[in-house]
Amino acid sequence: MSGKIKITIIEPSEIVSTGLKRIIESYGSFSVAKTFCTIQEYCEMPNGNPDIIIINPMLVIDNGCSEPKSLLQTNDSTAVVAINYGPYDEDAFRDYDGYISIFNTREQIEKRLSTALKNTSDKETDDNSNELSVREREILTAVAKGKTNKEIADEFNLSIHTVISHRKNISHKLGINSIAGLTIYAVMNKLLDVDDF
Amino acid sequence: MNRIHTFTAKTKMAEIITDYSLLTIIDRLNIKLGFGEASIDEICRRHNLSTDLFLMICRVYAIDGFSPEIGNLTNSDIPKLIGYLQRTHKYWIESFFPNLHTNIHTMLESCDERSAKILNKFYDDYDEEVQKHLDYEENTVFPYITSLVSGDKNDRFRIKDFEKNHSNIEEKLHDLKNIVIKYLPESASQQSRINVLNEIFKIENDLNKHSVIENKILIPLVSKYE
Repeated sequence: MSGKIKITIIEPSEIVSTGLKRIIESYGSFSVAKTFCTIQEYCEMPNGNPDIIIINPMLVIDNGCSEPKSLLQTNDSTAVVAINYGPYDEDAFRDYDGYISIFNTREQIEKRLSTALKNTSDKETDDNSNELSVREREILTAVAKGKTNKEIADEFNLSIHTVISHRKNISHKLGINSIAGLTIYAVMNKLLDVDDF
Repeated sequence: MNRIHTFTAKTKMAEIITDYSLLTIIDRLNIKLGFGEASIDEICRRHNLSTDLFLMICRVYAIDGFSPEIGNLTNSDIPKLIGYLQRTHKYWIESFFPNLHTNIHTMLESCDERSAKILNKFYDDYDEEVQKHLDYEENTVFPYITSLVSGDKNDRFRIKDFEKNHSNIEEKLHDLKNIVIKYLPESASQQSRINVLNEIFKIENDLNKHSVIENKILIPLVSKYE
């Protein structure tokens, strides 16, 4: 496994994303795993849980959404950082874990990314979220029974986004991603009977 | 400290063999040990292998997060690369997976019936998935590439199809590792668990680097010649 901090960039301007990638990779401890031009492209690609997503906030606004994290369906351990072009109001980035401006220096960018990452991991430990919640156990059981996200959303009266976000959190806590692996967990913990599958 | 960043064609071949994975690469490229003082360049020439390709594969293995760029590689490098990938598959199929299977089997003998039953099924399914994955590469992708290199145009398949269908065989192994570490009941024999985990640790890196070579070297190189 790579020890570097994995970053994904979602930015429509190639000039900006290429420049940013170059600066970030010059630090040595970060690596840019993928770059995307749109949120749709990002959502279509399996992206292996990056540590940080740097996104142009205009893309979030264009999607008619103010909550970047639910739009990107990130799990709790991914820091979402805005990349801003113009003059800004700090309040505009309340829903992000941090922001950088294209006018920041190399050092400022590195510092802001590290801070965003640290805040995110602190928050995660604070949550003491290593045990599954009741809702997560219910969803895990449904997943192990082979139900689709849509079926689970209907059953529990949730949006599909929320179901996906629960599933990401479950996988993150257990360290198990595949449905087959989750099923084993469910059976071993008696959430599911061994004859159910 | 790994000095592979500074290695060039003029470095002695013997100096590059600093760990287990680099030794494996040499073997998979059919390079025989006993280099004497010969440089990387000399040994590669003797084996009719491009130095660029050789160093690129070594760097993928030695440097985590290294993203190769095919730059100077040409279609004459493709057969060597395919040979390398095929020998890797052969090692997995003939040696690694049968070993892992034996170890898992031993571990499950010491488990309660419930855990043994589901894990057995999990592993059998995984085994089948790996077999399918490798069969697809061996029987569809590699023959297509080989005929492309020898000048045969084939419209029914494109390397893009491979890129799309290139499934991930690391995920379930990663899950299995965590299940053995975290969730298998304590009653399962400790030594047999450690044996299984050691096998998984050994292959994880190999599987990851192998996908980097397929996705970042093979696919771009072939699509350049389609």
